[in-house]
Amino acid sequence: MVLKACTRCHRLMEEDRCAICNIASSRNWSGFLIVVDPDKSDIAKELNISLPGEYALRVR
Amino acid sequence: MIYAIRTLVGQEKNVARIIGRNVKNSGIEVNSILVPESLRGYILVESTSKIDMQNPAFKVPHMKGAIEGEIPYDEVKNFLNPEPILASVQKGSIVELISGPFKGEKAKVVRIDESKEDVVLELIEAAVPIPVTVKGDQIRLIQKEAD
Ligand SMILES: [Zn+2]
Repeated sequence: MVLKACTRCHRLMEEDRCAICNIASSRNWSGFLIVVDPDKSDIAKELNISLPGEYALRVR
Repeated sequence: MIYAIRTLVGQEKNVARIIGRNVKNSGIEVNSILVPESLRGYILVESTSKIDMQNPAFKVPHMKGAIEGEIPYDEVKNFLNPEPILASVQKGSIVELISGPFKGEKAKVVRIDESKEDVVLELIEAAVPIPVTVKGDQIRLIQKEAD
């Protein structure tokens, strides 16, 4: 299983395309964030993340 | 509030995932779990309330213990927007390799390829200074300018 990250929203996925942004995902990512409660998380707010899930911190 | 947990190096994501599952619907208020690439062997747990890190939910395989006290949010912010490292590195900078076969070695920056995000290094402790090309996110800046 290769995880890829959306180059825009940074969400991690196995798919080649982000279902939310409809753009290609990248294998080239680093840093890892699990957002449990986006409404209460300062980190999620800082990164403009509004959905729970797994994210990369940096994608190229 | 941010708490730090020590993990076995290389197991950061796994520990984060298991803790993420454990805290769901547990009543423990964890809002996010952060695994910064540059902080090997640690994960950071974010909460809006004080949490008891001795709770069994955090005692998972490869977890090596919780760090006493909280980490200021300002310190954590640095991990959130990892700038392309090459923005702060220059020719002559001293860096440490944080991944790949030369992990842990110190090196001097010989050349930077900004567009490709590659950096050419010379390992400091190598008997023969062979140039090594790595990606910008494989290094951590130790000293911006050489003495
Ligand atoms: Zn996306």
